[in-house]
Amino acid sequence: MSEVSSAVEAEFRGGPRAGAPLPPGPLLGFVVAVAAVAFIALLTYHSLQTRSVAAKRVTHTLQVMDQLETILSLTKDAETGQRGYLLTGEEPYLEPFSDAKVQLPDELHKAYDLVEGDPVQLQRLKNLEQAVKDKLLELDQTIALRQKGETSAALTVVRSDRGKTHMDRIRQLATTMAASERGALTERQDDWQHAEYISSAVTFGGSSLLLLLIGTAAILTSRDYRARRTQVWLRTGQMVFGQRIQGEQRLERLGEHVLTFLGSYLGAKVGALYIAEGAGVFRRFAGYAMAAGSDVLRAGDGLLGQAARDSRPLRVQNVPDNYLPITSALGHGAPREILIAPATADGTVHAMVELGFLRTLHSEDLELLNRISESLGVAIRASKDRTRLEELLEETQRQGEELQTQQEELRVSNEELEVQSRSLKESQAQLESQQAELEQTNSQLEEQAQLLEHQKDELSRSQAVLTERAAELERANQYKSEFLANMSHELRTPLNSSLILAKILADNRAGNLTAEQVKFAQTITAAGNDLLAIINDILDLSKIEAGKVELAPETVTVARILDDLSRTFQPVAQNKSLGFRVELATGAPTQIETDPQRVGQILKNLVSNALKFTEAGEVTVRVFPGTHQTLCFDVKDTGIGISEHQREIIFAAFRQADGSTHRKYGGTGLGLTISRDLARLLGGDISVMSTPGEGSTFTLTLPLVYRANTNAAAVSPLAPAPAIASPPATPRPAPGQTPRSMVEDDADRIQADSRLILIVEDDPSFATILRDLAHELGFQCIIAHTANDALAAVATYRPKAILLDMNLPDYSGLGVLDQLKRNPQMRHIPVHVVSVADYSQEALAMGAVGYAMKPVNRDQLAEALQRLEAKFSPGVRNVLVVEDDERQRESIRQLLQNDDVKITAVRTAADALARLRETTFDCMVMDLNLPDFSGYELLQKMAETDEVSFPPVIVYTGRSLTGDEEQRLRRFSKSIIIKDARSPERLLDEVTLFLHQVESKLPVERQRMLQVARDRDAALEGRRILVVEDDVRNIFALSSLLEPKGAAIEIARNGREALESLTRNPNVDLVLMDIMMPEMDGLTAMREIRKRPDWKKLPIIALTAKAMRDDQEKCLAAGANDYIAKPLDVEKLMSLVRVWMPK
Amino acid sequence: MATEDADIELHLLIDAIYLKYHYDFRRYATASIKRRLTTAMSRFKVGTFSELQSKVLHDPAMFPALLDFLTVPVSEMFRDPSYYRSLREMVVPVLRTYPSLKIWVAGCSTGEEVYSLAILLRETGLLDRSLIYATDINPGVLQKASAGVYEVDRIAGFTEAHRKSGGTTSLSDYYTAAYGRAVFDKSLREHIVFSDHSLATDSVFAEVQFVSCRNVLIYFNRDLQDRAIGLFRDALCRKGFLGIGSKESLRFSAHRDSFIDLVPNDRIFQKQDAL
Repeated sequence: MSEVSSAVEAEFRGGPRAGAPLPPGPLLGFVVAVAAVAFIALLTYHSLQTRSVAAKRVTHTLQVMDQLETILSLTKDAETGQRGYLLTGEEPYLEPFSDAKVQLPDELHKAYDLVEGDPVQLQRLKNLEQAVKDKLLELDQTIALRQKGETSAALTVVRSDRGKTHMDRIRQLATTMAASERGALTERQDDWQHAEYISSAVTFGGSSLLLLLIGTAAILTSRDYRARRTQVWLRTGQMVFGQRIQGEQRLERLGEHVLTFLGSYLGAKVGALYIAEGAGVFRRFAGYAMAAGSDVLRAGDGLLGQAARDSRPLRVQNVPDNYLPITSALGHGAPREILIAPATADGTVHAMVELGFLRTLHSEDLELLNRISESLGVAIRASKDRTRLEELLEETQRQGEELQTQQEELRVSNEELEVQSRSLKESQAQLESQQAELEQTNSQLEEQAQLLEHQKDELSRSQAVLTERAAELERANQYKSEFLANMSHELRTPLNSSLILAKILADNRAGNLTAEQVKFAQTITAAGNDLLAIINDILDLSKIEAGKVELAPETVTVARILDDLSRTFQPVAQNKSLGFRVELATGAPTQIETDPQRVGQILKNLVSNALKFTEAGEVTVRVFPGTHQTLCFDVKDTGIGISEHQREIIFAAFRQADGSTHRKYGGTGLGLTISRDLARLLGGDISVMSTPGEGSTFTLTLPLVYRANTNAAAVSPLAPAPAIASPPATPRPAPGQTPRSMVEDDADRIQADSRLILIVEDDPSFATILRDLAHELGFQCIIAHTANDALAAVATYRPKAILLDMNLPDYSGLGVLDQLKRNPQMRHIPVHVVSVADYSQEALAMGAVGYAMKPVNRDQLAEALQRLEAKFSPGVRNVLVVEDDERQRESIRQLLQNDDVKITAVRTAADALARLRETTFDCMVMDLNLPDFSGYELLQKMAETDEVSFPPVIVYTGRSLTGDEEQRLRRFSKSIIIKDARSPERLLDEVTLFLHQVESKLPVERQRMLQVARDRDAALEGRRILVVEDDVRNIFALSSLLEPKGAAIEIARNGREALESLTRNPNVDLVLMDIMMPEMDGLTAMREIRKRPDWKKLPIIALTAKAMRDDQEKCLAAGANDYIAKPLDVEKLMSLVRVWMPK
Repeated sequence: MATEDADIELHLLIDAIYLKYHYDFRRYATASIKRRLTTAMSRFKVGTFSELQSKVLHDPAMFPALLDFLTVPVSEMFRDPSYYRSLREMVVPVLRTYPSLKIWVAGCSTGEEVYSLAILLRETGLLDRSLIYATDINPGVLQKASAGVYEVDRIAGFTEAHRKSGGTTSLSDYYTAAYGRAVFDKSLREHIVFSDHSLATDSVFAEVQFVSCRNVLIYFNRDLQDRAIGLFRDALCRKGFLGIGSKESLRFSAHRDSFIDLVPNDRIFQKQDAL
């Protein structure tokens, strides 16, 4: 590392521009190349030069020869002309001669020019010239002679052979010269060839040399390029690595970053980081695609330990099969090579990196690891230090807190001590004075003690007397019962005999009695029977009171009991001309386990009473099943009935409805008392309903199974068990699966960037209509029939917009809407609802862009689709500002103005409504004081009018609001801002929130509630529920949970208001009561409610934030029927409401 | 070895209290609770935690007395005046923009801080639309707090602190002194709900704009501190405020990222949007 840096340092000493322009290698190459090119050029030039000279010489030779030829030819012409003339003597023959004579000097002169520089040839030319001159002279002579007419002389001259000699000489000289030139020509042609040979050689040699140089340059450049690339790769690696480990990172995060980097940059498939923990122990703290393995290693342990001890990278090529396995969901394999490198800083190994590769490693991989080793070491050391520092800081914080606690405690004990010392002083003084007093009172006390002793004796005496009296009383009572029992027996014996005798008399078997006497005897019998009945009744009652009744429970059929009754009373009824019917209701149990004799007794009493008090009409006995495992016997008559105030009296012993009754119908009046006592003994009871003049119904209720230990007095209707059935969990969409819809859609041919719309509709025919309309308007569409499918489809296809039905088979559209709005990836997708059910307020509040109620016409649907399109096409957000004050309006506009927001500011509520009718706004900011009507009225109107969109509303007002006003506004607006110094800031904040949906719009609790709120719950339809709760959030949540189910909600914000509300609306069915409230808390309120007799049975469910059992017991003790802990569990609350809602 | 035994006994005692009386001290800072129970031991004249346990289990009447040892009722009005000054300057202006206000004083002890806040709100004209929830686990101190009666010799200190906190009125406007006691104005109490609430076991009960919980977290271990701060976070509205004690910190809390520092010196934080 340091060598590298020093080398770099040396290279760049003096700045980047100083030094050689090129590295030495390439420089030398370039110099050689330049030299070679120069050399080749030189050689080529030279050979060209040679060739050109040779060519010139050849040409020259040929010219010389040509010239010689010309000269010879001219000479011959001259001779020919001379001969012709000599022969003919005619002048025209002389012409060639004259011409030659004129031209020859010129030609000779030319020849001289040509042979200049060649002395031999020059000499020969001179000789030739001489010969030509001689020849011409001879010719002249001859011609001159001929002209003079001396033909013969001329011929003589000719015959002298002088001319021939000259001619020969000329010929010989020309031939010699030509031969000489020809020799030169051959020589020059050789030269030419030589030059050509040299030239080719130079060309070939030079080209080869150049090729060689180019090759070398290419190799050098390539090597340089590679080296540079490796350097860049290494540097980039170092740089990226440096970025990854930058900043304050915790160790685990650092490790993760390092390994992710190495994994991607080096292409390692698996990796792990171990941190040195001192004493040569290494602990794994980060893994990359690691299967579970050993976490702790020691220096010298295994390969890694070895590398750590040697503090140098280790490369392992033949990796054992099970070493650092690479696993994936599909299988696992072994890496081909393993690289283990230490991360050192200042010579200490701080961590070890272990990487597994599926490829072969190169030296640069090792180099990179080497280079980053130190920065990794430093980073890990820093991170370790930081972690340590954090720990220390935390420790310090803890100690600070501890110190503070001690200080606080010390203060407490100080205060306590002070109080104690003060009270000590006080008490000391008091003690002193008390001592005096004590001494004084001591004597008094002694006296009093004596007196007390006396009194105590007396008291205990009278107590003993009292105890004795009580025992006596009890005894007397028992005696009375026993006496009565005995007495009735004693009475019965003589009565019995008198009855038998009277009967015999009345029968008048002897026939010696007059008719009147017989009648007397019959009267005696009747009176005696009455007396007997009275005695029996008294006996029964006393037995019951004395606890001497023994019950013999057995299983009897109900039919048998009824048969008995029928048999007994049918004749009686017929006698009185009354109807008598027994009915066994369908579904009534056929058997009952009880004491049949006693049941018979009770029923007989009731039926005989009924018959007794009925003059006309009928008596009906009806058996039907009661609640809680009971069986009921109704004995209904059409008799005189019992007035309300007499109803209690009739069951009292020894009392009858009134004296006249007694006189008219007879009887002891004990029958009902006995019946009821018996019924209670059997674990049941008797109740009565009656209208005077129309008849009475006595109902005997008996348990199906008699339990011996049932305390008759404590028999009361069993409290219904709060059965809370938890409904099945909300189905979750299974991601990744997109079931096909029943209606054909565009799922298979979705084009990229298409205007894709998702239609969620369970009715296939309506879905088809929607699809066709969507196609018509140029949308592509996919169709889902259930909520789950819809969510899966959104995840898969990412539609631009959604048309949503509310009533889906699995769960409600509101649930889908909720899930969409809670998912950050889906939140922006605009949703338009089309449904038969009216959840418009909920849906719009949850962020739906519109709501259309079925049945819808084509235009409405088209409008819905267009509205959706307007939403998903990116554009400006619309904000409506309703504010009457010009300056305020302008300032709000200034505040909210930016590129993406279009602000429409209006002055009046009417304007606002008009605008809302025209445009869909994303958010509305409104003042409450408006010139035409109040902000509240505006909101009301907006809610009532269907064609007006209802955007999220922010109330921005200068008025302070009363609790009531706030409550009313809360129904429409979740955000109310009071104008003040800091309110612009909050306004901007809230508007931004609504426009960008940073957070989902609703509190999580409420969203959950809405998700569960599926359909109107029949149990709540039309019921009134009083919600006593002061927290706006909860009121909002509870009303939006209960109201859609058809319940009417009253709201009270504290216990006092709850009482007032109950007084005002006595028909409240159920109360949900918060505990922690101002003015009057929930516990007090419940106690107050229970004090009023007519609210005794009003079901109250307490809502408590407390979790402990005894807190809940407190609620129950205060009068709650049940309780539920906050935060409210929607399912549980609904169950409780259903359980406790009166049927 | 002895301390080990004592630790076991302490653990059992705390569990016993939880099982019998449903007061959860299991996640309180051990050192502090041990010290306090040790003091209680000498007061109840027992030698070991086990004896204390046996006593408290079999004598329910004794528990309230023990509870007074377990909780540390130290409080004064306008304690750390700069905290109140910061509330006045940084928090109240924002609270003013809410139509109605809810404030939660968690661990209100004998109520000094609650009355201080009520006075501050009255001075800034916000009290009429405010509701202060004052909660504590000790019914005894809640009763004292609800009475609003303090020793008259503490009033001088309170007055000084009130002045330093930037009070705009005189503290004497709010109390009547007689018989060595000072009673605070009933009209303040109309806006306060005193209630039993445990940060260890109970849940959020209302949405509030401001939570003041000072010198309570110091008695908790990290876990319980996190639970309590989590409750505060859930109770606070968007951008609501949280004030804690001068020696307390959110730095190591799991919910650190839910809050931003507003006045670091006075430990006033503002809830920030979870993104």
